[in-house]
This record gives sequence, structure tokens and C-alpha cells, in this order.
Amino acid sequence: MAVTPPSDNLPLAEGLRAANDLVSAKLIEDWALGGALAAIYYVEPFATYDADIFFIPRDKGLTAGIPAIYAHLQSQGWRVEREHLLVRGFPVRFLAAQGLTEEAVREAERIHYEGVPAKVFRAEHIVAIAASAGRAKDKARIEQLLQQADLDKTFLENVVHRHKLKLPTL
Amino acid sequence: MKPEMRQKLAREPFAEKIRKVAQLIRLAKAFPRRPRVTPAHPYGK
Repeated sequence: MAVTPPSDNLPLAEGLRAANDLVSAKLIEDWALGGALAAIYYVEPFATYDADIFFIPRDKGLTAGIPAIYAHLQSQGWRVEREHLLVRGFPVRFLAAQGLTEEAVREAERIHYEGVPAKVFRAEHIVAIAASAGRAKDKARIEQLLQQADLDKTFLENVVHRHKLKLPTL
Repeated sequence: MKPEMRQKLAREPFAEKIRKVAQLIRLAKAFPRRPRVTPAHPYGK
């Protein structure tokens, strides 16, 4: 699967397809695209150097099934480099979802990217996750989403309230 | 960039935005930011 001709575009479709394969192989329960690439679904494009795929583990143990996920993807031609798995040189992180991120996976928006069915975090969840992280780049992401995305304010307030978060003053 | 232009970019299809991300990455790799040379403090501190 992973050995495909080089292209000028990001190999995002391969990453999403691999995530679907992990569901088919019963290694994960569900997944969604999060992080910067999910934010870009709603806002203007900006440079980012990896893709974050959040998954709900089937294996509820300490490792969240990550060794089996890595082994499966390596058998498909993916390379491992520190915490990343590389598809055609593009780093993808598979992150076990829990709490707010698990909710974000379960309620993610269904999309098709280059013919691949996928899920992407809702903009409101991206804002809430950024608020929970609280770094300077998260504050910038929140500001960008508030300016450019069509946020459901009621939904956002509900998520922020339930997870006891506070949006930064911009 | 003007907010209207940024808003227009935000409304583009996801696949088009991903193509632009790839271009931005290529540009960033071709022209990496050089670390800022901090000028000497004007008052010699």
C-alpha cells in the first residue's frame, strides 16, 4: 500500500487510508484527523510538518495497542522515525485519544479526501483542545478559528463548560 | 494579507488547501529562516 510514486502533494490520502486499514484490521476502534491539518480544514492554509491522527484504541491497556499499530504500518512499508511514522517522507503521528480528544474523534465531521472516507475534528473541538493545551501557538490557532471558521457558539460553550476549560482572552 | 483574502483562502476546498500546504513546506525548506542575529544592546547591557 504505502509504496506509491512520488508526488508534489502531501501524501495525506495514504495516511487516511492507512487509518481506515487499522480499523478494518481491528487494531483501532475509530479515528479522526486532528492537529494543524484539521485546523486547516476550517482556516487558511499554513505550513505544518506532520499529520496528527487521533485514534480510539481497541486495546485498553497501557500501550493503547501502539506496538501492533506500528508493526502493521511498518509491514505496509511505513518507516519509523522517533515518534513519527513516515509515509513517503511525510511524518504522521498516531495518538491515542482520551477524554476531550476521544469525544472529538467520536463527534468528528465525516469527509472525503481524494476519494478516501475520513473524519476530521469539528472546529469547536479544535478550539477546546487548543484551550486545554494553552501554548502560544494554541492561542494563535484559537484566534484564527474564531476569525475564519463558522463555529457553532452554543456547541463550543457546551464543550468548554463540560471539560472545565477557559478560552483565552484575545 | 487582508482579512477578506484570508477568509477567501479559508473557504477553499480542503484538497486545494493541502496542495498549498505542500507548497508552503517546499518554500520553507528551500528558504529556511535564519536565526535572528541579536544586535548588541544600545546601552551596552
